[in-house]
Amino acid sequence: MRESLVIFRRELKSYFYSPIAYVFGVLFLGVLLYHSVELLTNGVQANMQGFFLMLPYVLLFFLPVLTMRLWAEERKLGTIELLMTFPVRVSQLVAGKFLAALVFLAFLLLLTLGLPLTMHAFGGIDWPPVLGMYLASLLFAGSFVAVGMFFSSLTRDQIVASLSSIVTLFVLHRIGEPATIELANAWMPAMLVDLLSGISPHRYFLSIARGVLDTRDLLYFACFCGFFLYCNALVLQHRRQKG
Amino acid sequence: MIEVDRLQKTYGFAQALKGISFSVRKGEVVGFLGPNGAGKSTTMKILTGYLLPSGGRASVDGLDVVDESLAVRRRIGYLPESTPLYGEMRVDDYLLFCAEIRGVPRDRRRSAIARAVELCGLPRVVGKNIVELSKGYRQRVGLAQAIVHEPPVLILDEPTSGLDPNQIVEVRKLIERLGEEHTVVLSTHYLQEVEKSCSRVIVVHQGEIVADGTREQLIARQPAGGLVARVRGPEAAVLAQCGELLPGCPVTVLERGSDANVYRVEVGGAKAPVEEAFARLVVRNGWDLIELQRERPSLEDVFRALTLGNEAEVARA
Repeated sequence: MRESLVIFRRELKSYFYSPIAYVFGVLFLGVLLYHSVELLTNGVQANMQGFFLMLPYVLLFFLPVLTMRLWAEERKLGTIELLMTFPVRVSQLVAGKFLAALVFLAFLLLLTLGLPLTMHAFGGIDWPPVLGMYLASLLFAGSFVAVGMFFSSLTRDQIVASLSSIVTLFVLHRIGEPATIELANAWMPAMLVDLLSGISPHRYFLSIARGVLDTRDLLYFACFCGFFLYCNALVLQHRRQKG
Repeated sequence: MIEVDRLQKTYGFAQALKGISFSVRKGEVVGFLGPNGAGKSTTMKILTGYLLPSGGRASVDGLDVVDESLAVRRRIGYLPESTPLYGEMRVDDYLLFCAEIRGVPRDRRRSAIARAVELCGLPRVVGKNIVELSKGYRQRVGLAQAIVHEPPVLILDEPTSGLDPNQIVEVRKLIERLGEEHTVVLSTHYLQEVEKSCSRVIVVHQGEIVADGTREQLIARQPAGGLVARVRGPEAAVLAQCGELLPGCPVTVLERGSDANVYRVEVGGAKAPVEEAFARLVVRNGWDLIELQRERPSLEDVFRALTLGNEAEVARA
């Protein structure tokens, strides 16, 4: 636990040491807010719906850029050799890095609070669902980080890492989309459709986004992240063997 | 302190270590010598827990490097090859991170970092970002990182590669100082490094240990070199006389001077002591013997003989 926290602190600081975090933050927030405000000005009802529906797509294309360096860069610079020879378990390394990325994203999401606050000032806003949406967004982002980090552990090439995570996340996202499910239902057995769409974080994001906080949805995100983080640790452990 | 027993490592189809065994006693400074790709780094990576061996065992301080990896890693300070560092961090932040992750207790961290900074000559750069430092300073940061938790064992993979001659001397002095308190294993392909700072040398070649011993022991294994003499006398006569009276010892002229010539006498095939025979010969002919000395084989000769494979003697010392 202590070791994970040490890794976590160094990682989190590293986001702010490097210009990547600032460029990423500005672009991420810029794109997200621009589209949400555009939706609002086009006469849609003043709520956060547009913002939260926009979010998965922005995460889909931006997050892999943030996560691609997590392991690939360590391997390229050779610092992985330091990390792996510190008296720390691989699981603690993975946990520390994951948490740092999650906290950084939480920080970015907090910066978007200006939007609901503005709405609040101008005419009131129903806060409980909005807060639920924020939670859903964070969990959703966490699942993307787990996937991105896993792909980063597979290669020392950051471009390969980001492209493969974008493709994977895109597929995962698409199979959970209501339109896709409807389409698939026409020719696939219902069970198979259920199984496939059941893997997709999108489905659970929409479920929490509807405003109902179901423990099953939370459990899903825990399992999803756990699975990819476990695979991540396996890859690193395997590399000790292979050399 | 370190026990290695028939250690093997295979990368895919390539066998990097073919079952090497050696042991290092507490307080020794051991130099790992070998051409690139001999298996030096692989051995160090296994000792530090970065890689798992494919066969055999290794232990540090009585703890197995596979079964008790975390405990072993706590006892080791490691400087990987080419000194990877987090460039964006400040030197003091980086050392603090290393101290924390190595489990140095909170109340001792400040003094541990101060000690490492002092020993490695870093006081002037502690507030700088690592990326701004010169290669020599980066190397010292790498060393400071390795000693910050005061480990009993230091493993340094090519600590002086890529440094300029002045920096090499500085880092070497530093290693000598560290050797007073730590057991040190360092790898290198610079021979002078081993000659200067190591009490023992292990020569590795193609995944096997081809020699293990002190510098003197290794040199003693090398057949004696020739005899070098500066003689004042007619060149043709000297050569002729030597050819006649010292059979099996071909003589060549190394250097022609205005006054005296330098000759080299091969002693390989001689039975009697060649120095005396040669001296008598010179005196009998009334020439002047100005200088006479035996060529001492250097560690370099030993290294070349062991790793170029042109010598039959590849037995273990």
